[in-house]
Amino acid sequence: MNTATTPDTAPCASASETPVSTWKMRRWPASRETSIPAWIYSDSSLFNREMEVFHDGPSWNFVGLECEIEVVGAFKRSWIGPRSVIMVRGEDEAVHVLENRCAHRGSQLCWENRGVVKDFTCPYHHWNYDLQGDLLGLPFLRGAMGKGGMPRDFRKLDHGLRKLRVTTLGGIVWASFSDEAPSLDDYLGEEIHALVLRATGGGRRKLRLLGYNRQLLPCNWKLYLENSRDPYHATLLHSFFLTFGLLRTDTAFKAVPTVGGRHGIMASTYSAATAGQQNEVTSQLANLKTDFTLEDMEVVKPVDEMGDSSMINFSVLPSVFFQQHGNSLALRHLIPKSASLSELSWTHYGFVDDDEAMNRRRLKQANLMGPAGYVAVDDSEVLARMQPVAESSPESVQIVTMGGVDHDSQDTMLTETLIRGFYSYYREKMGL
Amino acid sequence: MTQWHIASALDDVCEGIPRPVTVEGHHIALYRFGAEVRAVGDLCPHQKDVRLSEGYLDGDTIECPMHQSCFSVRTGEVLSPPARENLPVFEVRIESGQVLVAI
Repeated sequence: MNTATTPDTAPCASASETPVSTWKMRRWPASRETSIPAWIYSDSSLFNREMEVFHDGPSWNFVGLECEIEVVGAFKRSWIGPRSVIMVRGEDEAVHVLENRCAHRGSQLCWENRGVVKDFTCPYHHWNYDLQGDLLGLPFLRGAMGKGGMPRDFRKLDHGLRKLRVTTLGGIVWASFSDEAPSLDDYLGEEIHALVLRATGGGRRKLRLLGYNRQLLPCNWKLYLENSRDPYHATLLHSFFLTFGLLRTDTAFKAVPTVGGRHGIMASTYSAATAGQQNEVTSQLANLKTDFTLEDMEVVKPVDEMGDSSMINFSVLPSVFFQQHGNSLALRHLIPKSASLSELSWTHYGFVDDDEAMNRRRLKQANLMGPAGYVAVDDSEVLARMQPVAESSPESVQIVTMGGVDHDSQDTMLTETLIRGFYSYYREKMGL
Repeated sequence: MTQWHIASALDDVCEGIPRPVTVEGHHIALYRFGAEVRAVGDLCPHQKDVRLSEGYLDGDTIECPMHQSCFSVRTGEVLSPPARENLPVFEVRIESGQVLVAI
């Protein structure tokens, strides 16, 4: 066999052509306000554009909690879309968010999820950065034995890590890659701003980290985002909610799209008195089981800690969902990895001044969520089976007409107004 | 208890050139200034795995080849990050053409 064959030199027909971004050729189907085409869940060129528009664009992304990095040098690795960032407490005691990408060759600098360091050293060529992201040194700057080394005009000042804009609200750290992002207050809008404060103790209480859950979801990030703005499925898919009276279609409910559909609020009332009870509405739902019980009913017996008998959950584009299920408080960080893969990362928290009983209640009730959560596991299973359907029939169309065709606030769970609101905002920003 | 140990022949310690030695397990660098010799720790305290004597000596300042932390080789003082700690300084005596350091 002749191993010295000449490589095939025939020119590749498409090599000299400009690559086409297929998303630009897409057309949203008719009945725009109430239709969702399946190609938005699988088109990788569209995914890349979404990351530019939303995650890298003029938005504020959830990064972590201040209480996760209390001492100088404490860091947490986080994500803004598929891009990794480092949230770190600087020498100046301020929170810094740095892109986790060495300025030299672009390798990932920090490989640990959490820790405390004095500085950061890239594993590849050992370039070293301080906690504010400035380049301190690099091996063989002057070469060795009179050979090699950096050019004389090399300035360390020009080769620091990318520093993101950072702001905090209620002990939560937000970052933006964009100089164009408005203030966080304006980005959130009044209603969400007030709810962030409600969820975090109104600025009067200090957060306490309780723990994490993380999982990979084999689905597009928007399938999860829709799921977290979809009250219609909550009592149907999640028999646990209904069985234990945590969420019922006959209780007062509000679905509120805000800032033109950018964010979405789901507020329900909770009454311990209705747990396990049937009435006309719930008796129609085959999922309701009245004879089920738990070894430890504290898992489903929240106390009204906010004093408003409400459970308010809300989704802040592009990356985070504020969870209040009973006394389980958490930030659900939605991290797109590719068009068909997402990570979901829960940061469970309470307050430093919680008593032991409340701490225990929060930890128990956190079992509703996470990869094996009594409730959350249902979503993971459904979405994992939805993704291949979307990929195999990209021209198919979903409908979201429950509760009408517009995206006004509604006072029922039987609505898809939040999903319609999101896609109205999405289409505008994406030009679709 | 402090003991004096032979570190090097004086003739082997040349002006402008760090002289790395290992004495009783201590990595030490000797620096010559005319008739005088200074002895300071030779491992950069930043990551503790680099010999400063392989770095760039400018007057009485040694620069770590790894991340350019600078130290005074007279006082051991750290002059720039990423290192934060000073170098240990060893007493020096010259006797019969030998450099002795106190450990």
